[in-house]
Amino acid sequence: MSTDESTDNDEPRHPYETDESFHPMGKEWEDQMREELEETDYDADLGMEMAKDAQRLVAGEISEKEFYQSYHDDVQEEFEVDDRPLFEDLDGVDPSDFDDDQSMFEALKDIDLEADDVSRRDMMKKMGAGAAFLTYGAYATQQNGRSDEVPQLVENLQTKEKNREHRWGMVIDLERCDGCLSCVSGCINENGTSTGANWMYVFAYVNEDTDQANFLVRPCQHCSNAPCEKVCPVRARHTREKDGLVLTNYETCIGCRYCQVACPYGVNYFQWGEPDTDLSELEHLEMRPEKVRSMDFDERKEALQTAAEDGDHIYDERGWWTDSRPPTGVMGKCTMCPSRQDDHTESPQGTVACQDACDEAGMSAIHFGDLEDEDSRPNRYLRKRSENVEENDRHFNDEDVVEGEDPDMWESTTNWGRLSSFKLLEDLNTQPNITYLGNEPGPNDKQVDPAEIREDPEKLDTPVSYEDLTGQDRWGNQVVDNRKEHLDYGPSGPPEEEA
Amino acid sequence: MATQNKEPGPDDILRPILNTSKWYYVAFGAASAVVVVFLAAWSYQLENGLIVTNLGDWGSGGGVTWGMYIGAFIWWVGIAHGGIILSAAVRLFGMDKYQPVARMAELLTLGALSMAGMYIVIHTGRPDRLVLSVIPSYPWTVQSSPLAWDITVITLYFVMTATYLGLTLRYDIYRLRDRLPDHFDLLYRFILIGYSEKEDKIIERMVWWLALGIIVMAPLLLHGGVIPWLFSVLPSMPGWSGAIQGPQFLTIALTSAISGVIILSYVCRWAYDWQHVFTDEMFRGLTKWLGLFGLLFVWLQLQQIINGVFAADVAAEQVMVAKLEQPVYIIAMGTMVVVLGYIFAQALDKRVFSLNRSLVASIAVLYATLSEKILFVVEGLQYPQFDLYANVPGTYIPSPVELASLAGTLALCTLFFLVIIKLFPVVELHAVEGHDDGDGGGDGGDEEVTA
Repeated sequence: MSTDESTDNDEPRHPYETDESFHPMGKEWEDQMREELEETDYDADLGMEMAKDAQRLVAGEISEKEFYQSYHDDVQEEFEVDDRPLFEDLDGVDPSDFDDDQSMFEALKDIDLEADDVSRRDMMKKMGAGAAFLTYGAYATQQNGRSDEVPQLVENLQTKEKNREHRWGMVIDLERCDGCLSCVSGCINENGTSTGANWMYVFAYVNEDTDQANFLVRPCQHCSNAPCEKVCPVRARHTREKDGLVLTNYETCIGCRYCQVACPYGVNYFQWGEPDTDLSELEHLEMRPEKVRSMDFDERKEALQTAAEDGDHIYDERGWWTDSRPPTGVMGKCTMCPSRQDDHTESPQGTVACQDACDEAGMSAIHFGDLEDEDSRPNRYLRKRSENVEENDRHFNDEDVVEGEDPDMWESTTNWGRLSSFKLLEDLNTQPNITYLGNEPGPNDKQVDPAEIREDPEKLDTPVSYEDLTGQDRWGNQVVDNRKEHLDYGPSGPPEEEA
Repeated sequence: MATQNKEPGPDDILRPILNTSKWYYVAFGAASAVVVVFLAAWSYQLENGLIVTNLGDWGSGGGVTWGMYIGAFIWWVGIAHGGIILSAAVRLFGMDKYQPVARMAELLTLGALSMAGMYIVIHTGRPDRLVLSVIPSYPWTVQSSPLAWDITVITLYFVMTATYLGLTLRYDIYRLRDRLPDHFDLLYRFILIGYSEKEDKIIERMVWWLALGIIVMAPLLLHGGVIPWLFSVLPSMPGWSGAIQGPQFLTIALTSAISGVIILSYVCRWAYDWQHVFTDEMFRGLTKWLGLFGLLFVWLQLQQIINGVFAADVAAEQVMVAKLEQPVYIIAMGTMVVVLGYIFAQALDKRVFSLNRSLVASIAVLYATLSEKILFVVEGLQYPQFDLYANVPGTYIPSPVELASLAGTLALCTLFFLVIIKLFPVVELHAVEGHDDGDGGGDGGDEEVTA
């Protein structure tokens, strides 16, 4: 590629690339970058061109191979060997060697930009054109949460899907749920949530017409278009780019509860008073969060994995306090166990506590996994279930054919057979990442009053009420269904005999 | 008492600064006592968390997460926004009759805005993080979070109103300086930094443009836009969502603000013998405006009721039916109807009018708008789109700590006025030096007063 300034209009562009500037931080930034490059002895045009293409590379619009091949000769020509220490490593590299796993990008990322304690400006002067790329490269790797100094401006402008490794979600088969509340207990056991903060909430509701009871399993829906995130005035509630988890940064949340108001599902539980589970029971790291964040990625990962052996899982891989129960005055909700998804705990990536408990109870109604991976558990389950339904469909047909009737009239014409699936309140455009199998609740359906079930467990063949779960988790926390009744006791909590 | 025909002069507007009656001390003492109780209640909340309120989680939790704090917040913002619109209208349209209350309305705006801002602090679970969390993320949240817009608008209007007030004060302070008490000399010197008589005309124009800006932005940025958007843009709560909230909030704001101004002027007139400053004629006019905006308020309520019960979808109908069955709502609307009855009767027949009746009407209106606001917040949350939960609608009755905040902010606002009234004239000098500026010129006054 030449250093010609003219731009071909047919070139692919970034979502943030404008006529004025190719850089996501705008023209001013770009001009400043050029100015700094021009102060060096190197070719500023080359530097700018490289920086521009580096952005395309980051966005996946050109391959690393293409990028490297374009500039290999230019860089050779422009830089004296002794003056470009950062490129020395690349001398012996044959561009054709690059494959998806071992990339030049990865190689560049490993160069410790901060080691020399030089300012970005000094560094750019020193390294010239290549630095423009490297600086951006550093930003790009920070996108993956590998650095603490996340330039949020860039983070915000990048399209989310570009950096996504997974999209965690669930398929919940309501037809397999019998309301045993094992998942509820499993969640409390994992996260140490306070009384009544049932992040995972399972309840029976009755359909007006059929009078038939159904169960609904309601974790957070981890929406791809989460209204709670949109309204947050401090960006504490956020979607993690890496995997689409909707999390709360417990350290910046101001407790305005707007997320709870905007969420159409009612999955948020505020920490109104002192948490039931003391922080000392959750964390043994004896480190301030800033300390955790100041570590480099590998160091932190190691520290967090060691801590997880003691049962700690309050930090995610960015060193953000987003896991386990929230502190006082802060919003909490189902997290889909980010420490597990970051591979810090002994429980493997791609599992969640509620699913484990459900499997253990022999129900396997909850299927968690990467929704974008065709072979993940939820997707496999979905496929299998639809196949089963189709088979049963046919099986049913054979038995029920009555003479004189057209046997085909029973047959489903869609690929999905009669598998009934839905997402909750999908028309609110929240794009939930939970898919339910079973009957969708109607607008006039209503939960069976938990008090009735408590009094008459036979009513729904569910011998378990929330109160029965009290003391079953490792924290020995009290569990109730109606949190308001519990909160009404005030800061001192319920009288001894009731607790 | 028979001073209605006396010409008002600078002596009148200086009276509150120079004389202090025993009632002043009584009011100051009472308000301070209430503030102390409120501060004690708030400390209790800060120590134990929001568990001391009667709020809870909506959904399986069986409560409402926003309640009186947010209801009172929007009520105070409404009064503030209405106040500044009122004052801007007086200046912009040369409504001389109301010029004596223009500054009062501006002060009401500052006081009420401060109370609204305070409610944001009281309402949050972690007020200690407000500055460090809000500011760094502001460039992003301002693009998406209605709450960030709210904070922006409250700040903007505080600055605009303070500027407005500061500019118009310079004229008065300069001319009255040698009659003002010396112990505030520093304050007066600060207000007068760089003052010269030549600036009067320029200031006049600046204030006019500020007023224009306020009026133009009112529907969008004030109570007609940003504040209702806090609720109206959320499809999760059918009682809130909908475009009518903009005009509805604006009419409630104006209704509340006029009531606030009537009450304040009534008290000042009683305390400082201002019958000739705040004339009966002016009160009658204010009462009529109260009627007009009150009517708009009730009209928009009716619109919502019709939409909610005729052929609404399930969730929207549920919230409206619940509202219509709620005694608090029935009392609030009944109050509005009675008030409107009085106002239109007095418009038809002068003899029906009395100052005391207008005062009672104003207090009643403020009660109605406050209870409507709190109910709007609470019932909106009690009847969500997703109402499968057995614990929905939850229950909510404000706790003593929450009620203390309401009493406390009212007392704080009173204290604010009691302090202000000793610092500088709450009625503009312009308003008492002959009505000369119907065309927005105001230069006649400049020449007259040189004392």
